[in-house]
Amino acid sequence: METVNDEKPRVILTEHKVVENFPQGPTVYDDHFDAKYFKKKLQIVVIRRNNTDMEFDLIGIQHFLANTFRRLMLSEVPTMAIDKVHVLNNTSIIQDEVLAHRLGLIPLKADPRLFQSVADVNEAPTEKNTLEFELKVKCSHNREISKKESSRAEDIYKNSNVYSKQIKWVPIGSQRSRFNESDVGPIHQDILIAKMRPGHELDLKLFATKSNGKDHAKFSPVATAFYRLLPDIKIVKPVEGEAAFRLQKCFSQGVISVRKENDRQYAVVNESHARYDTGCRNVFRYDDLKDSVVMSKIQDHFIFTIESVGALPPDAIFREALSVLKAKCSALLTELNV
Amino acid sequence: MSVSQIADFSHGTSKTFVFQNEGHTLGNALKGIISSYPNVQFCGYTVPHPAENQMHLRIQMFKGQAIDALKKGLADLIQVCDITLDKFDEAVVSFNTADK
Amino acid sequence: MDTLNQELFGEPCTYKQPVKEIEEKWKLVPAFLKIKGLVKQHIDSFNYFINVDIKKIVEANNYVTCDADPLFYIKYTNVYVGSPDVDEGFNISKLTTPHECRLRDMTYSAPITVDIEYSRGTQKVAKTGLLIGRMPIMLKSSNCVLSNKSEFELAKMHECPLDPGGYFVVKGQEKVILIQEQLSKNRMLVEEGKWGAQCQVASSTHDRKSPTIVFVKGNKYFLGHNMFTDPIPVSIIFKAMDFLSDLEICEVIGIPDIHQLTPTLEECHKLQIYTQEAAWNYLGTKMVAKRYVTSASSVRTPADDARDALATTILAHVPVEEYNFKSKAVYLGLMIKRVIQAQSDKQFLDDRDYYGNKRMELAGSLISLMFEDVFKRFNFDLKSIADKTIPKIRASQFDVIKYMRSELITSCLVFAISTGNWTIKRFKMERLGVTQVVSRLSYKAALGMMTRVNSQFESTRKVSGPRSLQPSQWGMLCPSDTPEGESCGLVKNLALMTHITTDINEYPIKRLVKNAGLQDISIVASKAIHSPAAYIVFLNGNILGVTTNYQNMISIFRLMRREGQISSYASIYVNFLHKCIYISSDGGRLCRPYIIVQKGQPLLNQSHMTELEKGIRSFADFLHDGECDNSLLIFEYKDTPLSYRIIEPSYVEKVLVSTNEQDTTLIKILLRQTRRPEVGDKFSSRHGQKGVVGLIVEQKDMPFNEDGICPNIVMNPHGYPSRMTVGKLLELLSGKAGTLEGKFHYGTAFGGSKVEDVGEELAKHGYSYQGKDVFYSGITGEPLEAYIYSGPVYYQKLKHMVQDKIHARARGPRAVLTRQPTEGRSRDGGLRFGEMERDCLIGYAASMMLVERLMVSSDQCDVDVCNKCGRLGYCGWCNSCKSSGQVSSIVMPYACKLLLTELQAMNISPRLTLSHYCQ
Repeated sequence: METVNDEKPRVILTEHKVVENFPQGPTVYDDHFDAKYFKKKLQIVVIRRNNTDMEFDLIGIQHFLANTFRRLMLSEVPTMAIDKVHVLNNTSIIQDEVLAHRLGLIPLKADPRLFQSVADVNEAPTEKNTLEFELKVKCSHNREISKKESSRAEDIYKNSNVYSKQIKWVPIGSQRSRFNESDVGPIHQDILIAKMRPGHELDLKLFATKSNGKDHAKFSPVATAFYRLLPDIKIVKPVEGEAAFRLQKCFSQGVISVRKENDRQYAVVNESHARYDTGCRNVFRYDDLKDSVVMSKIQDHFIFTIESVGALPPDAIFREALSVLKAKCSALLTELNV
Repeated sequence: MSVSQIADFSHGTSKTFVFQNEGHTLGNALKGIISSYPNVQFCGYTVPHPAENQMHLRIQMFKGQAIDALKKGLADLIQVCDITLDKFDEAVVSFNTADK
Repeated sequence: MDTLNQELFGEPCTYKQPVKEIEEKWKLVPAFLKIKGLVKQHIDSFNYFINVDIKKIVEANNYVTCDADPLFYIKYTNVYVGSPDVDEGFNISKLTTPHECRLRDMTYSAPITVDIEYSRGTQKVAKTGLLIGRMPIMLKSSNCVLSNKSEFELAKMHECPLDPGGYFVVKGQEKVILIQEQLSKNRMLVEEGKWGAQCQVASSTHDRKSPTIVFVKGNKYFLGHNMFTDPIPVSIIFKAMDFLSDLEICEVIGIPDIHQLTPTLEECHKLQIYTQEAAWNYLGTKMVAKRYVTSASSVRTPADDARDALATTILAHVPVEEYNFKSKAVYLGLMIKRVIQAQSDKQFLDDRDYYGNKRMELAGSLISLMFEDVFKRFNFDLKSIADKTIPKIRASQFDVIKYMRSELITSCLVFAISTGNWTIKRFKMERLGVTQVVSRLSYKAALGMMTRVNSQFESTRKVSGPRSLQPSQWGMLCPSDTPEGESCGLVKNLALMTHITTDINEYPIKRLVKNAGLQDISIVASKAIHSPAAYIVFLNGNILGVTTNYQNMISIFRLMRREGQISSYASIYVNFLHKCIYISSDGGRLCRPYIIVQKGQPLLNQSHMTELEKGIRSFADFLHDGECDNSLLIFEYKDTPLSYRIIEPSYVEKVLVSTNEQDTTLIKILLRQTRRPEVGDKFSSRHGQKGVVGLIVEQKDMPFNEDGICPNIVMNPHGYPSRMTVGKLLELLSGKAGTLEGKFHYGTAFGGSKVEDVGEELAKHGYSYQGKDVFYSGITGEPLEAYIYSGPVYYQKLKHMVQDKIHARARGPRAVLTRQPTEGRSRDGGLRFGEMERDCLIGYAASMMLVERLMVSSDQCDVDVCNKCGRLGYCGWCNSCKSSGQVSSIVMPYACKLLLTELQAMNISPRLTLSHYCQ
């Protein structure tokens, strides 16, 4: 049984299952929870960040907290999405309900923090909780082009494809002054909504409201939010020569490097790149190599990836998740204290 | 009411709390924190049925009131949020400066 | 024998040489389908009926005379079937499309018009274009509007270009006449009967059908037929056929040991029948009395009747001219010979399930039977009307045309197709379930119905013979496509390259065979027929003659067929056991194309295949050039074949307001429901791993892997060990690799991508070569202990959705007669607590529970019973004792009380003896 004697809490990836390792010293999982100790232990390092994606490490935190953050980001951080569609005219082939479903899934550029959730489903939409849009498209023959020039639908017909850029914002009340046209609307302009032929017409009124992922997945602010544990590879028996190159191939690029020293080529783990290992355990294919390596994962080091849909930047999503949790706990505390 | 308690004859040292509109998201976090407290004999949670949006959290103490453990757990969770938020902001700032 | 073998099988020394494998030989199949198609059988058969057979039928029955007026006659000169149209009223008809008929619940039919010549009073009148009825038209047949139309034109007529056709639209419903499989007529079948071996022939001609049996009882041979009250010893029949001497009889039967015939011959002497007349008289006494007596029968004697019966009814398919019974006697002799051979050697028994003995009846032949019957009735009606009206004194001349009602023929055909009941009184045929509504669940379902073959056996008989897989089915009927359950093995499907023959003219074949060394049956002597070197030649069940050089005949026949001089669907086959050559040209035989082999090497070779692929050659060219041959099964009898040479709210989508044929208003509404998958809906992968959704879980609760991907479906692994669906595991693995590489893989255990290669591809992209990944629990956040085998698998949503099945009943409606809860979800019924469930309760000894289930919750009722007389009373009064003093009220199930009441109604008096419960 492989064990790694080390103070870090880890799980070991053996050939057939994931085994818990029993470390030598105390880890963050052992002691009773203490906020000060937690503050000391917690480390956050941002690896990569742009407007849509973010990768950062949460070190020194327990799995149940990391998982709670992940779940909150997926389902409890609210966004705006089209929820009600008034169909005034739909003569296209796409059925009403299918069309409405597709429209709901279109990600909208609207900061949900500036809106309120709808309290009562039955009351009229207000400027504080609803964004109104309009989609009016008619398909007709393109008279300017002759049949011989092209037979593609996009050329012979006008508006045969309905794209998200044709959704127009209809401001309600003071929204006109509060928002710019560029602040609201679909994030991507080229989402294909429907296809039509001459004579078909779409006349729809779309109402976007604020809700969260628990209600419907279209309200989730992230395409996905997930984490993985930091991989840790240790070479316990020296691997030399041709076997070293084979060992290198078993892991992702850059994880294992072959060092040359006095005519001897031996494999060595590249510490800075070890985090890129995918946990594929392909080393177990080779009988001679499988005992030379111990692969494990550090149980308190989480590499988070947040892929935002675009409505909120990824760090804002993380912050929102934390504030949602804080609000939840505060509300419960006040309830219990009453 | 979002949280209520199931009646019990242990004079408060053991209690099952029923949370409405909560699930594993809060339950696992609370259980992880509360079960590490020294005075807590047992802490566990369950979602009785996936069709119902409820979570039951059971706390049994060696000493003291279960509700106190719950309150402490919630307070600790709030602190976790704050600490994490601060550290996160720091990390973002340091990443931005390092980037430049 | 040797030269034939050499011709067929080549030199034995060449067997060891490998036959060069023709690559991609399977491409012949799609080429075949391109020119023949799967629905060709139905369409060809119907075309044959409309274009050829109907004319023959009308010609055969073209003369109608009347008893009242000898000068009166009707003669049909010509018959046409027009284009399908619809009568709009005011005698305007416009062309119609099948889709219009489907929507308006009408029948897609075309008018049948005749040209007739008849006498009106003293004049002769000729009229053309007279409507006698409407014929339902098969879609895509020659008369159909859809035949030979391009995709665009079909779309204009609202018809899907991929629709196979081959079915009828009758009263708005699409009905297909399934292919009916039956035993071939006019063939000798030797099998084990009640008393021993028997030889049976089901003779069938245009006029009559009847079975004839020759069997052995004790040591005598008898002939059985429904015309006779008792079985007749065969010797008497021979005497009646002018074979008077015992020697003649023995010669015509032709067995080596004549002592076996002695007891039968003695029968003749016992009955003192030595002449033909005596035989006829004897037979006359044994005839079944005719039910009706016509004016003609007083003139005829029973002997005359017997003679006519022998000539026409017994072994009806063997022609007898001018009472010359020679051919019939030879046939009968052969039947007896077979029985005797079967008695000693079991090899001579025939297999009823052998496909050489089976014929397929298609739509055309079934409709022609129906049409013939109804046309005869039509003429009979005209005749009786003429009989009645001509004698009467009338103002105007009798004009038959006024009495021709087209409804008779129309309604008869429409009724037959729509109900599926084929009732023809003449042949005493009453077949049910001949037609079925075309299943439109999917494209394959519709296509599959066109290839369906229905067997004549009812599904209730548990005999296993017709249900089991026959080796003679090879290449013509699919070995695996058969339903499970009660019709397993009885309902079959045609294979891809199957063809069903149509009737071919016999005359050219007869001429060819006669020129190829045949000695005609009428000339040849009995001794010669049964000599060891002679082979008897049969054509469609009739003995043509005898030949001594069978190889020559066979090779000439085949040569002529491959040259195209005789139809390619005539088949010839030697049976060495029976020493016969069977030539068949009748319709309804199954056949498939072969690759011709000469001297052990196939004539088809690789260059032909490449030409086929390039499109230079088509399948028809193969037939023309003689590389392939269309012929009937040429298998060794009974052995494996030797040939080497297949609640919810609905949206309204459309509304139709129209009228139907009877001018009543018709409103049709098309509804749609969008159904999300829910708990209880049935799903399946492509490997028989079907199952129902147990739980729907949010994305956050689902486990996720290192890439953040979470599964859409989590399948229970217990489905694998017993089912061993390795294909699904391969599909997952190779699908995963294919997605990463961007190429297709064959995920099958039968060849295709190798697991090692696929594993290599996965490893290249950083995934585990085994397809298993590390997953983290969505609920607790920790990594799962086991590695999870995950990847893309194609899943299908099946049509069994819980919304259509969910049903609950607390109390509800009851059936009127039995007062028990109704049956079925649509009638808000209860679930049956059946016999097996009753047995379980008995096993638990839960008697009160049984009473509760079977009586209290079902049809409990209070019944008054008189203590004295034991009969049922009412309201505390016993009607037979006329008092109310002795009446007790008891509780019993209503079904029991119903039984007692029904018995009372039949004049049986059920009496109940009562005693107190605790005594």
